[in-house]
Amino acid sequence: MALRSSTRLGVAMFAPALIYIAAVVGLPLCLAFLYSVGDVRVGSVGYHFVGLDNFRSVLRSPTFRRSLANSFVFTIVTQLIVIVCANLLALALRDRFRGRGFVRFLVLLPWVAPISLGAIGWKWLLDSIYSVVNWVLVHLHLVRPFDAPMWLGEPRLAMASVILVHAWRMLPFSTVILLAGLTSIPKDIPEAAAVDGAGFWRSYFRIVLPMMTPIINVAVLFGVIFTFTDMTVVYILTRGGPYDSTQVLPSLAFFTGILGSDLSEGAAISVFLVPILAVIAILMLRVAQKAEVV
Amino acid sequence: MSKTKAAGLSRRTFLKVTGAGVLAAAAGEGLLAGAARAQGKTLKIMQWSHFVPAYDTWFDGVFCKQWGQKHDTHVTVDHIAIGEVNARAAAEASARRGHDLFMFLSPPAAYEKLVIDHREVYEQVAKKHGKPIDLGHKSTYNPKTKKYFAFSDSYVPDPGNYRKDLWSQVGFPNGPDTFDDLRKGAKAIKDKLGNPCGLGLSQELDTNMAMRAVLWSFGGSVQDEHGRVVIRSPQTVEALKFVRALYRESETPEVFTWDPSSNNRGILAGRLSYVQNAISVTRTAEKENPEMSRQIQLVPALRGPVRRIASEHVMDCYVIWKFAENEEGAKQFLVDYIDAFREAFRASEFYNFPCFPSTVPDLKPLISNDPTASPPDKYKVLENVLAWATNIGYPGYASAAIDEAFNTFVIPTMFAKVARGDLSPEDGARAAEQELKRIFAKWE
Repeated sequence: MALRSSTRLGVAMFAPALIYIAAVVGLPLCLAFLYSVGDVRVGSVGYHFVGLDNFRSVLRSPTFRRSLANSFVFTIVTQLIVIVCANLLALALRDRFRGRGFVRFLVLLPWVAPISLGAIGWKWLLDSIYSVVNWVLVHLHLVRPFDAPMWLGEPRLAMASVILVHAWRMLPFSTVILLAGLTSIPKDIPEAAAVDGAGFWRSYFRIVLPMMTPIINVAVLFGVIFTFTDMTVVYILTRGGPYDSTQVLPSLAFFTGILGSDLSEGAAISVFLVPILAVIAILMLRVAQKAEVV
Repeated sequence: MSKTKAAGLSRRTFLKVTGAGVLAAAAGEGLLAGAARAQGKTLKIMQWSHFVPAYDTWFDGVFCKQWGQKHDTHVTVDHIAIGEVNARAAAEASARRGHDLFMFLSPPAAYEKLVIDHREVYEQVAKKHGKPIDLGHKSTYNPKTKKYFAFSDSYVPDPGNYRKDLWSQVGFPNGPDTFDDLRKGAKAIKDKLGNPCGLGLSQELDTNMAMRAVLWSFGGSVQDEHGRVVIRSPQTVEALKFVRALYRESETPEVFTWDPSSNNRGILAGRLSYVQNAISVTRTAEKENPEMSRQIQLVPALRGPVRRIASEHVMDCYVIWKFAENEEGAKQFLVDYIDAFREAFRASEFYNFPCFPSTVPDLKPLISNDPTASPPDKYKVLENVLAWATNIGYPGYASAAIDEAFNTFVIPTMFAKVARGDLSPEDGARAAEQELKRIFAKWE
């Protein structure tokens, strides 16, 4: 049965997106699975199936286990910071005030600017020699010149630094989502609550926050995906150091697969992300659907 | 409706116009490429943006240009940052497309199956210039397969750089000569003047080199001559104890944060008392800070309890891919490049030392009297560099397993964990052994 012309047009319009996703996402994903059960090196010319050997190998590596734990810490703490700050910013930016447009522009900048540029900027701010932060601390006589904090050199400070920089990067994204959610709440509901004597906090926690929950979930789930799969901040700021204390799975996969020449093991490390991300993606779709209904 | 059509383009017309445009552009590009091919051969080279810009100016603008004219070949040289080399190589290897000549900065043993046997190039060069130095041979040869997986034209020495003004104040006017001197002098400087020592403990190139120098000087090594993992040894434990003491007495946690340029910046900014690095430090000082240039002097690799030894800092390794479109041209280019190496040595401001020493017969007089250096014989300490410089993988060859261990920073991580006190020296050596055995097992 011949397709109607509108159907053909629909298929034609949809095909580029489908091809794009298949080529840029589907194919690499399939290759990653294939590589993870093979013996592919950067210079190898054949393929041999090795079963789960690569997974056994990475599980024996303390660096992998540490990276797995770091990935969770990095993601969870970043998202906690982002959601709290995004809520505050969304509330602040909801009401009209002089210069609101400019402030919104500034808030959006970290998201709009390439992450590599932003991370390099932070690398200099936190540099061991030229850190502006340390310069201020030294000139305020809060620390001694040769004893300033090494933001990227102490394991805890380094983890805190990569988390804060990534939170800085993700904040605009979540703020915009929450701002959209906030402005969609009918004004008469909080106004009625105010007439009934509800103060700001009561109105916020009893009315605004529950109504915002689906949209917050969307922001969190997107944020989790973006954070779990990100290696730019870690790679530029610390390269996984000091001694792997900020190494996360994506950066370890890069170091092992590309720099270390073992594509299969790099793929096996990456594939560890898939079940976690799949669960998050399913959750995300369900929550998004729920938000749509709301 | 008609007004809309007249004012703009209909969707159908738009698609037709843009489609025709794309096809025309593609056809044009094909024609142009065809025309370029018809005019002569091409040779595509990929290498790093050299630390000394004058070298790239000479290489691209003089040598390649003249070589291209002589061989009726259009030579293109693409430069990338040092940190991008391995990722780019992986992309070319994966696509089986790319440049005819690709230059790595460390031995690329993992790519052996995708590159030609470079023996023919070595043999051609040897006819004129003799055998390559052992460092070049061991960095590019696989004794198991008897294949040269790369061709090395040069290496970069990795001496010590010390602040003469600081070291003079603590009784070492000529800088440290041994690791024991380093520990005593660096501690005295930090205690008296506040300046820390600058041996890195980070996941980066310079740390990789500096920590190997310590390890080897104390008698330890990653592998033996036969490629067996031997990291867990009393000698390694002693080396770990030394670095732990050096860190606690003379360094700060900044050494865990560094990238390859950090120690350069640290000593040039007047902060650090000693770093182990190529002559990039002193060359930068000569151009940007003449006063500091007078203070920063060089010492050879420091002597440890067992030997005086250090790794090369950078190993130039050219490979010709099996999928290179102009394999013969690439081979000829390498042979001719070695013929012209004296110019390369001078253009690199003595950064690149020859793997075929006869190509620069006057190397010693040249580096002993450099008018830009202060004093002019500053670089004289490098004249016996081959007495203490060795290859990654010492005392064995640079293998794929050594390459992965190098690029995943197993040795810097071991030293850093022990220096911080996260692991005891014995546990640090044990953990490194476990990781190295895992890596070596994969590449057997």
